[in-house]
Amino acid sequence: MRIGDVFAYAYGGVVGYRLRSLLMLFAMAVGVASVVVLTGLGEGARRYVTGEFASLGTHLLIVLPGRNETTGGAPPLLGETPRDLTLDDALALQRSAAIRRIAPVTVGSAPVSFEQREREVITIGTTADFLHVRQLKILSGRFLPQTDPRRAASICVLGGKLKRELFGNRSAVGNWVRVGDRRFRVVGVLASEGRAIGIDLEDMVVIPVASAQALFDTPSLFRILVEARSQSLIPRAKQQISEIIRARHEGEDDVTVITQDAVISTFNKIFTALTMTVGGIAAISLAVAGILIMNVMLVAVSQRTAEIGVIKALGATRGTILALFVTEAGVMAAVGAVLGLALGYAVSATVGQVYPVLSITAPLWASASALCLAIVLGLVFGVLPARRAAALDPIAALARR
Amino acid sequence: MRFQDGFNFATGALRSNGLRSGLTALGIAVGIAAVVLLTSIGAGVHRYVLSEFTQFGTNLIAIVPGKTETFGISTAAVSNVRPLSLDDAAALVRVDGVVASVPVIQGNAEVEGAGRSRRSMVLGVGAEMPRVWSMRVSTGRFLPRDDQRSPRAYAVLGSKVRKELFGDRNPLGQRLRVGGDRYRIVGVMESKGQFLGFDLDDAVYVPAAKALELFDRESLMEIDLLYRAGVSVETVKGSAKRLMIARHGSEDFTIITQQQMLDVLGSVLEVLTFAVAALGGISLFVGGVGILTIMTIAVSERTAEIGLMRAIGATRGQVLRLFLYESLLLAAAGGLAGLVLGFGLALLLVFALPALPVHPSTEYVLLAEGLAVAIGLAAGIVPARNAATLQPLEALRAE
Repeated sequence: MRIGDVFAYAYGGVVGYRLRSLLMLFAMAVGVASVVVLTGLGEGARRYVTGEFASLGTHLLIVLPGRNETTGGAPPLLGETPRDLTLDDALALQRSAAIRRIAPVTVGSAPVSFEQREREVITIGTTADFLHVRQLKILSGRFLPQTDPRRAASICVLGGKLKRELFGNRSAVGNWVRVGDRRFRVVGVLASEGRAIGIDLEDMVVIPVASAQALFDTPSLFRILVEARSQSLIPRAKQQISEIIRARHEGEDDVTVITQDAVISTFNKIFTALTMTVGGIAAISLAVAGILIMNVMLVAVSQRTAEIGVIKALGATRGTILALFVTEAGVMAAVGAVLGLALGYAVSATVGQVYPVLSITAPLWASASALCLAIVLGLVFGVLPARRAAALDPIAALARR
Repeated sequence: MRFQDGFNFATGALRSNGLRSGLTALGIAVGIAAVVLLTSIGAGVHRYVLSEFTQFGTNLIAIVPGKTETFGISTAAVSNVRPLSLDDAAALVRVDGVVASVPVIQGNAEVEGAGRSRRSMVLGVGAEMPRVWSMRVSTGRFLPRDDQRSPRAYAVLGSKVRKELFGDRNPLGQRLRVGGDRYRIVGVMESKGQFLGFDLDDAVYVPAAKALELFDRESLMEIDLLYRAGVSVETVKGSAKRLMIARHGSEDFTIITQQQMLDVLGSVLEVLTFAVAALGGISLFVGGVGILTIMTIAVSERTAEIGLMRAIGATRGQVLRLFLYESLLLAAAGGLAGLVLGFGLALLLVFALPALPVHPSTEYVLLAEGLAVAIGLAAGIVPARNAATLQPLEALRAE
């Protein structure tokens, strides 16, 4: 029997019982589609989060004050240390050849008011390089000028939302606003950027770092953002930061340096594990569909006993019969899986249209393994019924007519 | 026809095709087992998280500086122009229903004692902290009730700091250096474990005023209030808010009640458990398609039998019921097997991975079994209707 004939026979078997075959295809398709959609969701979430972090800027390192002895734990994201991370520490980092730019950051919360309106927002004290390090864009006016970071100046840059809340449609640039108990002149407005890692960049005000330190009456910095000269120089930059700070802090190692790719790779790992788990759970339904295929094939074998008898009487070997029925199960699973892929991609595309933020694209490995798994399951679950068919005695099979 | 007869007929039909029935039920069983196992994990995580949060007691209200919040952490805790002061903390005790208040400053500093040093969390708190956070002192005592503004330089160690610095020796009465300042150790806390990444055992507790000095701050990071059980949260929250507004002139703080947090967390976790159950439900759905397929086949195979039954006087309703019983039985048996399988796997997980919180919850289990029966009903209805609407004559001729 030629391979073409085997497939033709299998096709006949599938088409011969239309309703039953459709139901089986549907079951398999639901399983494959759920794998595709769910892994797509996981992958979309992973891309979104790592994209968020990548948008913080490239080659970024973050220096935090304080360090916990317990390694592997979370760095001290919040909290005070007796020895401040000072502006001079930040400026000293510029000595390193591996570092291109630094942006010292002080944050706090202060009410910002203009005329009758007041709004309590995040206040960031930083320098001109913050714009480049964080890759922000200016909508109107300009950012903080390149001046000596130690000198306070009464100028500020508003986030997009804050500008709308305080000024409405009027132009903000050139006006004086009150931040806390001081007055600042607005020199620019930031372009919309949305949220990034917890800090709403829309709803904040940026002032020079020295002004912020005076406003909040603190000599300490909250973070130093450091941009390395290139990707390959990140480890060296990290090492040099530690050395410089240690030299300045009388030999004490009291800062934590996090690199952006460490954070991204952690998130990558978490989300990949999550995607695999969710995909695995969805794949259980593939096994259920496989059981269904086996069940229906068993029914088919008992219904087609006479037919099998005829084929055997015509001289088909056990191997041929085995091949015929396994092929039928495999074809069923494969067609169902392909339909499922199509269904899954259709659902993903629809969701993508409705929620453009979340790009659902199933990773190739997930689609491919769902397809392979479906076909393998079809073949495996087809073996038992096929063996049953092959073991039939031709005479007895014919006699049952 | 009595119900008993119908039931017997259905079991007979299922038993005559043992393998087929078994496989169909297996499909449902796998689905139910997945649902049971996944909801067990979901419910386990739910309990775990809630117990993490309630280990500090449930009658808590936190006041943090600043009005804006991001992810529950206020940037105003870092620095702000409108500080929360020790006097605020002292004043809040007078609010009706409030039993105790604790000012909180959290930081990180070099701690030296007995010739060893370690970087640890430093918590500046008040004397009432063990009561408010339901923590216990294992040896010695906690910080005394000194004048809040000029307390004596006493410190209490977390169990881990004690072990790292003093080993087996008695730390009580020993001197401790925290970020350069000298303290005398008066007590050691009982082990409390990790909480959201903060290791409360790797901490040193000092008076809040000392911590403000140490970190050179003006503002507290948080004030925690403990209120009497039975008093309405909203009343306490309202009075605390009025008092703070009266003291500060405007609402420049945020009040978070433990109950609010628990409610939000609870609803989030509920959704999560439901989502996980829905994932398992996909398998259940596929299993349902299996029942539908097999019942369709059964009806077409037994056309002659149906014809005969109708010919000897069975009504349409009776035929319908017979086939419905069959699919219901299939689903219920599969569901039961799935329950056993799911429970077994959950118990196995409890033994194999004790760290993973697994908690099989009866309500979800009952829900799953109910779902299985519902699926059996839904999947059986179309084939059963087909059987019932067969013309007796036509059906008999199929012989």
